[in-house]
Amino acid sequence: MIKFIGANKSFNNRLVLKNINLEIAKGEVIVICGPSGAGKSTLLRTINKLEPIDDGEIIVDGMYLSDPKTDLTALRAEIGMVFQHFNLYPHKTAIKNITLAPRKVRGLSRKEATERAEKLLEKVGLLHRRDAYPVQLSGGEQQRVAIARSLAMEPKIMLFDEPTSALDPELINEVLDVMVSLAKEGMTMVVVTHEIGFAQKVADRVVFMDNGEILEIGTPPDIFVNPRHPRTKEFMSSVFHIPIFNVNQEEEQDF
Amino acid sequence: MDLLEQFSNIKFYLLGSYPQGEIGGLLLNIILAVLTICLSFWFGVLLGYSRLSCRLYIKLPCMAYIETVRATPLIMIIFWIYFFLPYIAGTNITVFWSAVASLCIYAAAYQAEIVRAGIIAVPKGQLEAALSTGMSRYRAMRHVILPQAFRIMVPSFLSFFVSLFKDTSTVFIIGVIELTQAGIIISQREPNKMYAAYVCMGLGFWIVSFSISQLARRLEKRIGIFDLESYRPDACRDEFMLLPKKKVTGEETGPDMSCRSADSR
Repeated sequence: MIKFIGANKSFNNRLVLKNINLEIAKGEVIVICGPSGAGKSTLLRTINKLEPIDDGEIIVDGMYLSDPKTDLTALRAEIGMVFQHFNLYPHKTAIKNITLAPRKVRGLSRKEATERAEKLLEKVGLLHRRDAYPVQLSGGEQQRVAIARSLAMEPKIMLFDEPTSALDPELINEVLDVMVSLAKEGMTMVVVTHEIGFAQKVADRVVFMDNGEILEIGTPPDIFVNPRHPRTKEFMSSVFHIPIFNVNQEEEQDF
Repeated sequence: MDLLEQFSNIKFYLLGSYPQGEIGGLLLNIILAVLTICLSFWFGVLLGYSRLSCRLYIKLPCMAYIETVRATPLIMIIFWIYFFLPYIAGTNITVFWSAVASLCIYAAAYQAEIVRAGIIAVPKGQLEAALSTGMSRYRAMRHVILPQAFRIMVPSFLSFFVSLFKDTSTVFIIGVIELTQAGIIISQREPNKMYAAYVCMGLGFWIVSFSISQLARRLEKRIGIFDLESYRPDACRDEFMLLPKKKVTGEETGPDMSCRSADSR
């Protein structure tokens, strides 16, 4: 479904993605984790070409992203994206936020689009808030509307860019629940998140990144419990608040 | 001195010699301002939008135009148009249309900057969100960015409209009989009414400008629906200072640092 072949990208001469090779199958749920500044979000944003890559190739659903002939709007219509700061349209109500793209891009009538939007709002548990403006919604509600907005295009792939990190701890679960149910329906998902619990529950594979490189790919237990790479070990132990048993330190003591 | 007699030309200030002759006076100022804003608005939007283009052959001419006009006094533009436009067009143009043309050229540049600022002020995430749902750049602009940008622009537009209204007085220089010119004519024709004439001019401009700004304030309140948090009519200087906030309830903690006590010290 998504394939990275030797993708490189730099901002101001600083490499933020180094030789990324990754293949994601249909229906797979991939969680990308790693320290901030590791290039996780950039990697995610290259998938729908919000960030173009410098060289290498990305193939999404048979479309070559570096090909100038690729129709970007058609590509993006197939890829839903959920942002850290929700990015709902503040001048539109929840239901209008959801119906805008299906009506303008897919050409649905107002009635069809509204029906679809109501179904999605029900799915995320917000049908009673259909006529609320984003400012009237809590963070968690906004993010659920944002997810519904992406789903309204009936995408084949969903990208989540730290969907819960701008939320109050109490509101995180309502968003994660929606994501879990989405994963169970077989949606292809790429999720950048620090929610280890979510990753353990639904991820098929976890990608650990640091400094623009993919250091390790594996199943959740592989990465979280038995990481091989020393950098992964260090990161995981700090995430789980476990004192560091660093291989390097032990070696140094042996000297 | 009969005070009422001093202001006997009030109709001439307001309407010029209208029922018998051409429209003039304060009414002409209003007509000039409204006509100019209606015509130049579209140029302003187009210019401001084009200036944000990443294509240099679109961006540079717009930038050149905006920066040239903004760096030129309005009176220069009025003279240029008055003298050059008939020469270029090859036909005579009435003073009125010459005035409208120069005001439009002037206003378009300023409105372009307002439009540009408004578009830039819309958070970047909005465009990304729109694009990622498969909308084209044009659609994202039209349905997501511009509606928000226009709301941001409204206060600047209104204050520009007030200042444009005042600037219409400048066209008296080419002999348009608007309020300023009307006052000058009266003061020359009847020197004993000179003071009254200048008082009338001042009052005329003040009343209209003040009404527009009051209207603007109300409109701002209504339009900012989606951004209630940033609308603060009772904002005061203290809020922007890095002083510890005075506790509203509970006992006094620490030294009182509000500006009143600081001043009285």
